[in-house]
Amino acid sequence: MSETVLSVRDLSTSFFTPRGEVQAVRGVSFDVRPGEILGLVGESGSGKSITCMSVLRLLKAGGRIKSGTATFEGQDLLSLDEDALSDLRGNRIGVIFQDPMTALNPTITVGEQVIETILRHRRASRAEARARAIELFELVRIPSAATRLKSYPHEFSGGMRQRVMIAIALACDPQLLIADEPTTALDVTIQRQILALLKDLQQRLAMSVILITHDLGVIAETADRVLVLYGGLIMETAPVRDLFARPAHPYTLGLLGAVPDLRDDTHRRLTPIPGSPPDMAAPPPGCPFAPRCPHAMRQCLDALPPLFGTAHQSRCWLHHPEAPKVAGLNEVAA
Amino acid sequence: MLGYLAQRLGMMAVTLFAIVTLTFFLMHAVPGGPFVSERMLAPEIAAALNAKYGLDLPVWQQYLNYLGRIASFDLGPSFKYPGVSINSMIAAGLPTTLRTGLLAVICVVALGVPLGIVAALNRNRWPDTFVMFVATLGVAIPSYVIATVTLYLFALRLGWVPTFGLDDWRGYFLPVFALSGFWISFVARLTRSSLLETLQQDYMTTARAKGLRPGQVLFKHGLRNSLLPVVTVLGPVVANLVTGSFVIEQIFALPGIGRQFVLSITNRDYTAIMGITIFYAAILMVMILIVDLLYVWLDPRIKLTKATA
Repeated sequence: MSETVLSVRDLSTSFFTPRGEVQAVRGVSFDVRPGEILGLVGESGSGKSITCMSVLRLLKAGGRIKSGTATFEGQDLLSLDEDALSDLRGNRIGVIFQDPMTALNPTITVGEQVIETILRHRRASRAEARARAIELFELVRIPSAATRLKSYPHEFSGGMRQRVMIAIALACDPQLLIADEPTTALDVTIQRQILALLKDLQQRLAMSVILITHDLGVIAETADRVLVLYGGLIMETAPVRDLFARPAHPYTLGLLGAVPDLRDDTHRRLTPIPGSPPDMAAPPPGCPFAPRCPHAMRQCLDALPPLFGTAHQSRCWLHHPEAPKVAGLNEVAA
Repeated sequence: MLGYLAQRLGMMAVTLFAIVTLTFFLMHAVPGGPFVSERMLAPEIAAALNAKYGLDLPVWQQYLNYLGRIASFDLGPSFKYPGVSINSMIAAGLPTTLRTGLLAVICVVALGVPLGIVAALNRNRWPDTFVMFVATLGVAIPSYVIATVTLYLFALRLGWVPTFGLDDWRGYFLPVFALSGFWISFVARLTRSSLLETLQQDYMTTARAKGLRPGQVLFKHGLRNSLLPVVTVLGPVVANLVTGSFVIEQIFALPGIGRQFVLSITNRDYTAIMGITIFYAAILMVMILIVDLLYVWLDPRIKLTKATA
């Protein structure tokens, strides 16, 4: 088995809108390793979903991949012809979307929505596909699986619908599962169940998972490694423990400062990050976080910093050998 | 399901009764009558005619008599054409109207929906622009203009089709086209906008993310969900087309009921007005019922339930 399941290099994606080009993703590179859960975290508009939808070439109207490669099982997904790519989608790569209320077709039974996926990718009879669908429903713990196949999405709760989505995504034993905010639209208690289920399935089926979320709590609980995205760029990447124990980028630090800590009884106020994300139709020439950064220097506004470090990387001029030392900010291992 | 149907049919009877009552009194509220014309009849003759058809009775009495008659599905004799009953008048005109009407319905579905799909799939490219241009013309140009222009061009100048009548199968082309032109355009526009909206839905992305082929994505996941508004308008459209059009039947000299309906009004042929109104209302209500039943088949989220008062 190769070192990486998916290898994305220098991916740039833009949306062409009436008010100009919006640069949603600006040169993102990362690897997904076998059997790991890679967390992509960032606020709305940071480019995390667009990155993954670009890899699958499922962008909405107006979106265009400008450059980059995404190597999966020896093939570049970005230059593959549409037919060959659709052979991989739903087969070798499964996808779960954010809102299970809208991601399932309301007029087709959930069973059929699973079965059609199996029939598309496997040489199986209808009866075999149906048996497999029941197996999948049991795998994602939908009670009385055989009878629920005949139900329509509106007859399920949100959590159950997301289980159906997961069953569809896992229908053909994918090597890679992309979960785009799989718990954002769900109640908190259901969120935990779905995350536990995902983590359990990932271990049992030895899949790699890309987990997209804006919730650092979800990341802390589930991910093995994390990419922090901001303004269409990777700002920091680290193993999950490192990220929480020794955050190296001021943006990550800001995100952590905005998370409530229930064990803390000093009544510390949450610190929001002042300002708002950059306008990606006219991204700043320097670090996109500089206008909101408490440590911003002149340099930050003019020039985009590279990623410093190796296993733990951070895109901040403060990690430059000649930069002043800032308290509270951790160094990246050189 | 049966309970629902029974309730719907009951409601239809009530609606029909209201239509009958309203039309009857409105019709009688208009001055004049079947035997009033520029050429004055001798008073004795007029009185005799009125007595023969019961028009000398008070209006409420006439109303009750009429109700009694239609309760036994007898729409009465024509006041204008002696010896002709309204039932036989409808029976004579209906086959012609029905044939052209149903052909027009088939054209609306078979051309309108595919044109809308082609336009939506090629949004803002030339096929879309072309279809929308033609569809805008189709909606804007009145049917009698289409009828006369095509008549002049294809029947008179080119001689491809007969100028009137349906004895030759080629005679159907122009009336059916004139009848359906507007609705083909209308349905094409509606299908396009509805499909464009459906294509934006999350479940369409899901369908592609599952690796389904483009045809499966479009026909299995897209079309069914975008046909709901189309089916909604199709009900009244069918009712409209199968009950004929005065203009088209006049221009192509077709012996249909659409022409009878309009003539009956100018003739003040009371029973004909009532009869054809009842006939049209009944067909419309049946079509709407069929549409409601189709909804359930198209969208499982819609359930037929009896109204609870």
